[in-house]
Amino acid sequence: MRYRNLFGLLALATLAILTVVSQADALTGLKAYKEVVISIQVTPSPVPVGWLAPKKATLPDPFVRNVQIASSGSAWDVAPGAPVMIAQSSAQPTPVPVQFVAKPDPNAAFLRVIPHPPGAGFYSVPYGTTVIHCAFEIFTYYTNSYKLQDWGYGTTKTGGANSGTFPIENYPTVSDLSWAVPDFSPTFTPYWNQGPGGETTWVGAVKQSQQHCIDLTLVVPNSQPAGSFTATIQYNLYVTLP
Amino acid sequence: MRRYAAVLAAAALIMTTATPQIVHAGPAISSGSAQLNYKILPTVKAQVIPNYLSGFGPTGGLGSGATPTPGPSAVLNGGTVDFGNVVVGYQYLYKYAAQVKVQTNDTAGFVVYGEGATDLNGSNPVPLPATYPIFSTLFWLPSSATNSPFSPATSFNKTNGNPIGLNGVNGIDYSGVGGVPQAMSAVWSSPVAGNLVQGFDYELRLSGTIPPSQFNVYIVYTVIGN
Repeated sequence: MRYRNLFGLLALATLAILTVVSQADALTGLKAYKEVVISIQVTPSPVPVGWLAPKKATLPDPFVRNVQIASSGSAWDVAPGAPVMIAQSSAQPTPVPVQFVAKPDPNAAFLRVIPHPPGAGFYSVPYGTTVIHCAFEIFTYYTNSYKLQDWGYGTTKTGGANSGTFPIENYPTVSDLSWAVPDFSPTFTPYWNQGPGGETTWVGAVKQSQQHCIDLTLVVPNSQPAGSFTATIQYNLYVTLP
Repeated sequence: MRRYAAVLAAAALIMTTATPQIVHAGPAISSGSAQLNYKILPTVKAQVIPNYLSGFGPTGGLGSGATPTPGPSAVLNGGTVDFGNVVVGYQYLYKYAAQVKVQTNDTAGFVVYGEGATDLNGSNPVPLPATYPIFSTLFWLPSSATNSPFSPATSFNKTNGNPIGLNGVNGIDYSGVGGVPQAMSAVWSSPVAGNLVQGFDYELRLSGTIPPSQFNVYIVYTVIGN
């Protein structure tokens, strides 16, 4: 009788442990992922690198004043100092035909990026901090519970050209680009730049569709040369497997 | 003999009285400096070669589940910059899309402009509306072995000139817009003369709002001497 009770208790304990463990480590799978490309133009610092020296006195310029050397009547044949238009030579080779066939996105029902590109097609930012409200939106949905994760693409963990550079940089350097989801919190978080894995952007319940704005903050350090840059962020939709 | 001498004397008198009148009839002699600006009329020639290097074609589509391959209209040193099948919502890089060759004697150099003769024209099926903006969809960047679908690139613009022929198949007429393309459509420039070459890659960034369809556009390059 004692042994029978003991076995029963052990079975119950095992069942309880398995239940807890299975809940903690619910199996998830990567359903879809997308890249968001942010184009950035860092404008040169307004602080001058040098300064202009005052003009030194030189010999008088013989052409400083217009001198009439010929005339037909009282008017200039060619007005001195006026711009003279000369037809510019030009060439226009045969145009380049470009084509593509856009196919529907099989993942669009679960993960979509809704861009809000600036009028110029890129963000022109000065040195210092720039806040970009609702740079883009993300839509998520799935039939099971899910979570959306983000991470900066192009770190040295993923390789590629210019990996680990401005603005995503590379761990342990903190990313110059931060994100916030104002629907949830105003707090900005630097983008994860330790390679795949990333950080949770938001979670969703079973059959929950949601679409939220992503705000960005970009900090351009004074050490950063001016130029064109892109920040690529990957968004992963992990879903709970049935 | 006396009579002949009298004629010579009369002629000499006429010359001595007439000559000073001729000299004094001219303008006063003056001197000075002149600044002369002139320009030798330059010549500019240009050629564009699509798919100009072996290995041309699309890459990317990361996350779409499909590997892009060049479409059937893309052939080496010609044809179409044909991305083939691409998936809405993803980014692509087309390597060695076009090479521009310029020959000029213009010592002030030149500027090359490149822009779409139209927006992207949809067909098969015809979407509604039938066109989609080329701006922020099709980009260019100088060719480099290290380019990726996420490399910094500049968007093509739709021209403000008039397309010549169907959808601009014969180029763009800029006579109604001052004779030059938009300044923001400059893709390359040189401050010197010579025979110069520049290759370009194209990027395609398909937002989730572009409708499924076949899209076509002509990219027109115009070279203007400085």
